[in-house]
Amino acid sequence: MIKKTLIIGLGNPILRDDGIGIAVARELRKHVREHEGIDIKELSVGGLRLMEEMIGYDRVFLIDAICTGNAPAGTVYRLSLRNVPATLHSSSMHDTTLACAFEAGKRMGFDLPEDIAIWAVEAEDVVHFGDAMTDAVAAAMPRVVSLLVTALEPMLSHP
Amino acid sequence: MKKISIDPVTRLEGHGRIEIFLNDEGEVANAYFIVPELRGFEQFCVGRLAEDMPNITSRICGICPEAHHIASTKALDDLYRVDPPPAAKKLREMFYSAFFVADHTTHFYALGGPDFIVGPDAPPAERNIFGVLQKIGIDIGREVIECRKRNHHAIQLVGGRVIHPCAGLPGGWSKALTGEEQREIQLIAEKNIAFALRSLDLFRSVVLQNPEYHDLMVSDAYTHRTYYMGTVDERGYINFYDGRVRVVDPDGNELVNYHPRDYRDHITERVESWTYLKFPYLKAVGWKGFVDGAQSGVYCATPLARLNVAKGMATPRAQEAFEQFYATLGTKRDDGSYGPVHYRLATHWARLIELLYAAERMHELIVDPEITDPHVRVIPTETPVEGVGAVEAPRGTLTHHYRTDERGILQKVNLVVGTTNNYAPIAMSVKKAAQTLISKGTIIEQGLLNRIEMAFRLYDPCFSCATHALPGQMPLRVRIRNQAGEVIRELSQY
Repeated sequence: MIKKTLIIGLGNPILRDDGIGIAVARELRKHVREHEGIDIKELSVGGLRLMEEMIGYDRVFLIDAICTGNAPAGTVYRLSLRNVPATLHSSSMHDTTLACAFEAGKRMGFDLPEDIAIWAVEAEDVVHFGDAMTDAVAAAMPRVVSLLVTALEPMLSHP
Repeated sequence: MKKISIDPVTRLEGHGRIEIFLNDEGEVANAYFIVPELRGFEQFCVGRLAEDMPNITSRICGICPEAHHIASTKALDDLYRVDPPPAAKKLREMFYSAFFVADHTTHFYALGGPDFIVGPDAPPAERNIFGVLQKIGIDIGREVIECRKRNHHAIQLVGGRVIHPCAGLPGGWSKALTGEEQREIQLIAEKNIAFALRSLDLFRSVVLQNPEYHDLMVSDAYTHRTYYMGTVDERGYINFYDGRVRVVDPDGNELVNYHPRDYRDHITERVESWTYLKFPYLKAVGWKGFVDGAQSGVYCATPLARLNVAKGMATPRAQEAFEQFYATLGTKRDDGSYGPVHYRLATHWARLIELLYAAERMHELIVDPEITDPHVRVIPTETPVEGVGAVEAPRGTLTHHYRTDERGILQKVNLVVGTTNNYAPIAMSVKKAAQTLISKGTIIEQGLLNRIEMAFRLYDPCFSCATHALPGQMPLRVRIRNQAGEVIRELSQY
């Protein structure tokens, strides 16, 4: 059976650096042909809703902005559900964290992937509306795309 | 009490934070709920086409894009002075009812659940969705997820896109409903009614039959006598999609009843030095501070508020639930009607009654033969000037207001979002909850976070439209300062 991979660009494209996940997903479409085994989604949801979108997939790659304040804007982090401190969209006031929703989903018996690979980009401005990212974050985009293309390589050749 | 001013940099912290100030006697003098705010939305919109707004505004927030989409679409109807055909109005309201079912379900089970189903004094490790699953069982948990899924599917079928709908247009809706889609959604609505009835049964058995929870619900710590706001139809029943805004005083007497277009005649905003958030209040009453009572212009716009302003529910089973609610918690007035319920924790119950209403209303609309009428749009011909559109969002009355030039290019944009209405009541509830556990300088840490969390959670606050989605699981931090303004204690869930 074909293993199903889901790539999720998370974020808000009209909130400056918060748009990085969506921008990466859009760029990836140029490099990765969606086929039976690979889907690319642009989402701006958290918690339960995010978990629900992953039901039925074997592998999930998630790209989001993050504000740790501990590294320069544009820094790229490679995280997993076990060590994610909470990226901007993985949680919200109206929902649970993704890790919590994911665990709950598993307990309820939903068909969820084993783990989620998360790429998070340190953001500089996520409080002003605007459709342009800051220079530092925009400059990180090709790097994130290239990292993802490399990570996706095995799935592209052997879906 | 020493006055502390908080500079804007301090204000802009990426966490929800509560600041509690004690007076010389060690009692709570003030409590502030501080959240960062997004800025520049109006500047972002000015110069764009008004007809792009239903798609832009639905991007403001990942929680209630449907509410912004519908409020914005209605603002465009008003801007272009165009009345949509009946099928379009029914499609919009049916779509909106599906959204309400999904949203209220999430709140009760995933967010309110830890307070009532698991219990206010349960250890923090259990006060989450796992604790809820443990108590109600995995099967009901799965039903919750199924309920969300089927309604998201209906939203996508009718709204055209998953998450960010795109079907709203000035004068109507972009897509008529097919007979096949109608049959599919009818089944969804039927399941929703059954689910809502079960949820109300669960509330009765877990909360109402538990004297401890019942006493907590009606306790003074969670009671505020304020004004209430909500949208009602021409008969005075709750309507989420359309109607007039009704405001009643703490005794239930009508203060005003206005067309949403006139909102600025009735609502104005208070600016405080400690936050970027503005506090709406009733113009006719005036601002008297963060206080209860008929003399204070503070009002509340929540499921509880909507029940309090309404004559009843427009659907039969929700009406039965409404009557039971007031028979249990209400006070009879001289004319035999019930006065408002002021117990804030009863908002959870009110939310479930609204869930049942939304489910029944969705069913009423989907079985209406007119809903599949292919005529779903009237093409606007008027020159645009100004338009206001409002809906009841799950978290309160949501108003969109646009002004354009004659080409329909935006010159001014103002949004009053649901949660904004409740900023002052939230601050008051947080203060009162803190007062129950802080006295004469003694701070009972155990339970303080829980009680404060319960106080603001009942409002189902969503600051995503006024603020960014906050990181972390209920990223609650409480800082307690003495009369000199020094931080004497800091509590956090992490």
